[in-house]
Parts: sequence; structure tokens; C-alpha cells
Amino acid sequence: MINSLIKRFNIPPRDQWREAIGKLIDDRVRIITAGLSIRELRAIMRGDPPTEKPNPRYKVITTSFVAHLRPRYYPAAATWFTHTLRLGFFTTFFFVLEIITGIVLMVYYIPFPDQAYGSVLAIESNVFLGEFLRDMHRLGAEAMVVFSWLHLLRTYFTGSYKGPRSFTWLTGVILLLITAWLSFTGYLLPWDQLAYWAVTVGTSITESGPVVGPALNLLMRGAPDIGTGGLLRFYLQHVILMPLLAILLISIHYYKVSREHSISLPAVVEETEMDPEKKKEATRRIDLIPDLLSHELFLIALGLFITVAILYFRGFASPLETHANPQQTPLDTKAPWYFWWLQGILKIDPASIIENLVNPLFEMFGLSYRVELSRLLDSKFIMGLMVPPALVLLLMAIPYIDRNPSRLARKRPFAIAWGVAWIFIVLVLSYMGTPEYGIETPAATRIIQDLAPEEGEGPLRLIPYPELENRQMEYIVGQDYGTDLCPGLSYYPDPESHPNDIVVGCPHLTEVFQTFSRRLIDAQIDGRLPGLNAKLIVEQLQADVVKVTPHVEWTDPSTGQAQTYYHIYFLHKDRAMDAH
Amino acid sequence: MKRIQLEIVLGTLLVLLTTAMVVVLGFREPQRLEQYVVQQRAELIEFGATVFTNNCTSCHGSLGQGVAGVAPSLRDAHFFTERLAEVGWQGGLEDYIISVVTTGRQISTRPQLYAGMTGQAPVMPTWSEKFGGPLRDDQIRAVAAFIMNFEPYALGLVPTAVPLGPVVDESTPEGRGQVVFAAQGCTACHAISGLSTGNVGPVLDGLASRAGNTVAGLSAEEYIHQSIVDPNAYIVPGFAEGIMPQNFAELMSEDQLNDLVAFLLTLE
Repeated sequence: MINSLIKRFNIPPRDQWREAIGKLIDDRVRIITAGLSIRELRAIMRGDPPTEKPNPRYKVITTSFVAHLRPRYYPAAATWFTHTLRLGFFTTFFFVLEIITGIVLMVYYIPFPDQAYGSVLAIESNVFLGEFLRDMHRLGAEAMVVFSWLHLLRTYFTGSYKGPRSFTWLTGVILLLITAWLSFTGYLLPWDQLAYWAVTVGTSITESGPVVGPALNLLMRGAPDIGTGGLLRFYLQHVILMPLLAILLISIHYYKVSREHSISLPAVVEETEMDPEKKKEATRRIDLIPDLLSHELFLIALGLFITVAILYFRGFASPLETHANPQQTPLDTKAPWYFWWLQGILKIDPASIIENLVNPLFEMFGLSYRVELSRLLDSKFIMGLMVPPALVLLLMAIPYIDRNPSRLARKRPFAIAWGVAWIFIVLVLSYMGTPEYGIETPAATRIIQDLAPEEGEGPLRLIPYPELENRQMEYIVGQDYGTDLCPGLSYYPDPESHPNDIVVGCPHLTEVFQTFSRRLIDAQIDGRLPGLNAKLIVEQLQADVVKVTPHVEWTDPSTGQAQTYYHIYFLHKDRAMDAH
Repeated sequence: MKRIQLEIVLGTLLVLLTTAMVVVLGFREPQRLEQYVVQQRAELIEFGATVFTNNCTSCHGSLGQGVAGVAPSLRDAHFFTERLAEVGWQGGLEDYIISVVTTGRQISTRPQLYAGMTGQAPVMPTWSEKFGGPLRDDQIRAVAAFIMNFEPYALGLVPTAVPLGPVVDESTPEGRGQVVFAAQGCTACHAISGLSTGNVGPVLDGLASRAGNTVAGLSAEEYIHQSIVDPNAYIVPGFAEGIMPQNFAELMSEDQLNDLVAFLLTLE
């Protein structure tokens, strides 16, 4: 019977077992690694040359699905760090990170207005490492935007969009748009004031379009105002439509690079006479296995390390403001920083610019005619709906506009200057997009808002609770309270970890009051707040809640009427002292 | 060392460091979650205080002390210890508050204290947006959390802070009148510079100067007296009839009423 088994399973004689078992294991390993033997794996790890002929490392690329997406090799110069800066790689890295963290967040997030904000709070307060995951998703999103822009700039400045790569450039610009739309749709999901109003303002741009404008706005918002329908639309775009489109476009973009035209060589290598030895070295093949692959694994480890370290040392926290309130527009509605340039464009009014340029000319020549364009040219339509798409088209058309065949920087001074100029334009537009630029806020409102913004922290909310507890005082602006508002007070700010640290008086409250007073008095002196009568009221409302009211009365300089502005803030003893 | 070996060594090191950081975060996580819940409750109470100030103070008083004849105090021991038994509520107090705020109260449970009968305007309107009110669920939960936070005061566990405001000389009729003005909840609806900020009824600054020539045939004193005991006799233009409670004559003694008039006559 044993003999028949030996025969049936083809078991070799005992002295050949060792060899036979070794072969069995080797066969398994080759199947798993798509063609690499154990010896070969060892050689790869040690940096030794291939152990067999033909090179089994190339076989992997034809047998493995994942590896077949990759190139067999790149020319050495194309992988120089100074040439690519690994920007495209890290854009993809963060995209994958977004998918992984996003899938986990999807498990907990509920895309309905009644519950969305609560579910985000639950992620922060009731999910193990929930805050870490949400912060990572947000950080990854911002990093992806940054790296895609930098990748675009690098490609532009190295002239890599030219010739066979013009179509790749086009897919890249579309990917930039997809990235922007991914971040914009994700921005709404926490359903806090920041999200709600940024998206309300953003989508309102489409409203100004002719004929289809209102319909387009309705299509995006799902109703005249963003509600259940709008949130669901944004959610589905964020988790299904846009990721699928991104994967498709990334595939096309990458296929062009890996299969068709490879990463561009640095222009110095491609276009200049080089020492043949150096040229040979620069065009030497760098194989996927092991060099490219090991380098990419190293970059992944590095990227993860930096991302986690930023979160570990609290260098980044995703904001979460109060629940979205369609009835109350916050004072400073702000787009995410990477859209400030768009907000800046919206603040330009072409009609008044033309009027201001042309009308003085008419006046100079004694003509009574005046150009009035503000009714003809709708600024929101032009700057919101015409200019941004025109800029995108311009970006897409760059390879067809720029007919200069050379990629060497010194042979394309105009293109380089043009690129640098655009960086400045975008920076200036971004500055114009911040709430500090071009929006007039009444002095009293601005001063109180700076002291304690409607959303977020601000110096007033950072006053430690002991400095306010049972204060019951009205501090009148202009009155002399000496150097400290709370004589006789002392407290231990952190009795558990620093039991010996003691604070005497109330430095934070004093500083806030002094800033408040100084800015108000300055405004009184320069005539914005005549007849100033202001105070800071601190009251105890509950056993662990104080009510702080900055209160300003003045006479309106133009109408002579008495004006009052105040804002009531409530501060609880256990409130978070660090921004989150 | 070759580049590939360096990358393998460094990469492994980085992976180990990253893992270590995540593990440390994981160990700290239960504490962070606990702390977050405490902070979250604190922020909910702060938010509830804002909702309360914007919506509830005209009936329940700026400090939740209630307004006689209009709405009860939310910070007395009765509310925290006996109210649930009184109405026969089976659940907890916070749920009770959420329920009452959400649906309002059509009929008063204590008609001898607070007006509100069948067929009249509800004694407390429905506040939930589900039933035509202005508040979302999360705002109602916040306001309930805020009211629950009155407990240490209500039960006398923490001495109540002395309310802010000028010190009143109670030996004079005007001084006593000012106390009545605050105690009867007038502050909730009427603004007086430096004293109250209510905006439901007319501002009372300068009342003494104009009261004498508002209604023909009534002196300043008579006009103010009439406006308190019979508010609908004359309505200041721009305000609606029937908003001000009409039972102040029953809620105040004659002396208190006279003191209040004396105080209001000081508002030049």
C-alpha cells in the first residue's frame, strides 16, 4: 500500500527528499512572487545582480497584474531627485491615503443634515483613534492639493509638457480639477458653519450664469438652499463619482508615463552635448526591481512617518466649528486657503475698473459722456463663471501655445518668466481672497470679532477660567485699573502636572482688556467711534459658566445717532483650551 | 553601503518609528476620548447658553430666574427635585426639558400661577422646527444641557453669584421700585440703559419726561400706573396689543406698585 502511495504521489527516494522539498518551496515562492526564486529574493535584498538568465526580475512585469502597470525601467537621469522632486509620487501617495482613511470614516459618517455634525462629533469623541483618522484625512487632502500644484509647476518649469507629453499634461490638468472638486465636496461634509457657508458662497457663483445658471445652482444644491438633497449630492460625488473619475484619470495619466513616453529626461541630458561617460551614466537603465520599487517603499515609509509625526506633535488639527446654521451667516466667511485665489478673483469688479480708466479720459477731453458698465457687466458672472474656466483652458492649452521646441530653461526665458509671474499673480489673488482684504467691517464689530471670533478660539476664549470665575465686574474702557485687573487673585493653572506653577493676578484677562481698550480708543481718536462709551462685563451665570460681554456705544459720525454693538460669550470651566 | 541597503534600513526604521507613534497615540486614546466628552459637554452648555439667551429669556428671565405670571424659574430647587413628580414624568429631567421645549406647552399645568387655558394662545410655544418652531434638535439638546447645569445653584450646593448692577438703596421708594422692576421680570422685555436689555416692549429711557403728555388727561404718574395694571388701555405705536401680561395688579401689592411707579418716574 505504501508503495502504491509512493508511486501515486511520485515521492522520490529518501536521499533526494531535501532537494525535492526545496524545489516544492521554491515553486510556491515563484508563484507568489510572480517569478522570483528564493535565491533571487535574497540577491535583491543584498543588492546583488540577477541570479538567473534571462533576468527573472523582468518576468514579474509580464506575469503580475500589479507589476504590469509599472514600467520595466526608467533612465537614470529621469529619476534624479532634483528633476522630479517625487511630487507626482506623493500626490498619488496622498490619494491612496485619502481612500484608506476615507473608507474608515465612511463607516461612521452619516450624510444627513440632522445627524451629519453629530456623527463627526462621534468620530472625534467615541471612535478609537477617530480624531487621528479625521485629522489624517484632512491633512492628506490639503497635502494632495499642495503636491498636485507643485507637480504641475515642476512639469511646467522643466518643460516636460512638450511634444509627446502634451496629452499627459491635459490629463494632469483634469486631475487638478478633480482634486479641487474632491476637496470642495469633502469640505461640506462636517456640516459645521465653516463648511456650510463656504459651500453656499461657492455654489452661489453658478447662479449668475445666463439661462442655465439657476438650474445649475439647483442641480448642485439639490434645493434653493443646501439641505438634505445637497448634502447627499456632495457626499455621493465625494465618495463615489470623483474617486472613480480620479482613478480612471490617474490610470490614463500614469499609463502614458509608464508605457508610452516615460518620465522626461532632464533637458540638460536630452539637449546638450555631454561628456559621453556622463551621458552613458545618465541614460543607464534603473530597473523597477529592485531599485525603483525599493525607493518607492522607502518614500511610502517616509511619507507615512512625516504625516503621522505632524499629527503626533499636534502640528495639524482639522477644524470643527459649531453646527451649520442656515439662518446665520458668520462675519468672516472663508473658503479653504487653496481657493482664496478664486475668492480674490471674485472681489475684482471689471466694470468699475474700466469706468475708472475710461471716464477720466472723457473728462480730460471735456466730454460729458460717461461709460456706465456696471449694469451691462455682471461682475459675479464674469469673474466667477467666465474667468476661472478661461484660466483652466489656458492651462490646458499651454503645450499648444508654447511652440518652442527646446526644454532648456535658458532657451525659454519667456515661458519661465510667464510661470514666475503666474505664481505671483496667484499669491496676490490669494491675499485678496482673505477676509482682511477689501471688506469693510464697522470698527466696533471688527474689534470685538478680533477679540473673540464667532467661530474658533481668539484671545477672549483663551483666558483661563480662574481669571474670570466670580469676577462680577464691569471694566470700563478708559478707566485706570492699574497693571492688573484682579488684585489679590492667584491660581494654579495646571495643578496636576505642574503643581508648583502659580499665576498671580489675571494676566490674560488684563491683556485682553488692554487690547480691547487700546483699539477702541485708537478708533475714537481717528474719528470712527466718536462719543465712545465701552465696557467689558464679566458675570457668573452658572456655577461653572461665565458670561463675558464686550459692549460698545458710540455716535455714528455720519448720522449723529447713538449706536450700540455688543456680543455675549459664554465660557465653561471645562472648555477645550487648545484649538480643534 | 549601497543605496538600496540604506533605503531598506532607513525605511524599516521609519516604519518602526511610525508604528511606535501610533501605538503611543493608541495608549493615550481612552484618556483623550474621555477628555473630549467632558469638553464636548462644556461646549454644548456654552452653545445652550447662547440659544437660551436668544430665545428663552423674555419669558424665563435673563438668568433663568423666571418671570412672575409668565413662566417659572428654571434654577430653583422645586424644578430640580419636585417638578417631575408633579407632572408625573417617568423619565429623567433632561429628557423632560427636551420634550417640553420641543412641543411647547399648550395648556398651563399650574393655571393659578401661569396663564394658559384651552382655546388661548399656548402658554409656551412649540420650539422645534419639526412643529413650526425655530430650533433644530441639536439646539434643543444644548439648551436642555444648559438648564441642567443650573443644578448646583438650584440645590444650593454652590452659593449663587450676586447679580451685577448698581447697588440699590432700598430705603427709598425709587430704590425699592427698582428691585420690583427686576423681581417682576420687567427687565426681560423693557430696556433701561445700564440695567436691562429686553427688546420686546418699548425702551423706558426718558419715560418720566414723556409719560405726562402721552395720553390726554393723564398725568405721568397716572399714565405709568395705568400702563402696568391695564397694559391694553394705550399701546405705544409700533407695538402689539396683548403682549404684556395683564395680571400685574394681582401679582404686586399696592405698595410695590407705587414703588415701581416712583422708580419709573426717575427715568428722565
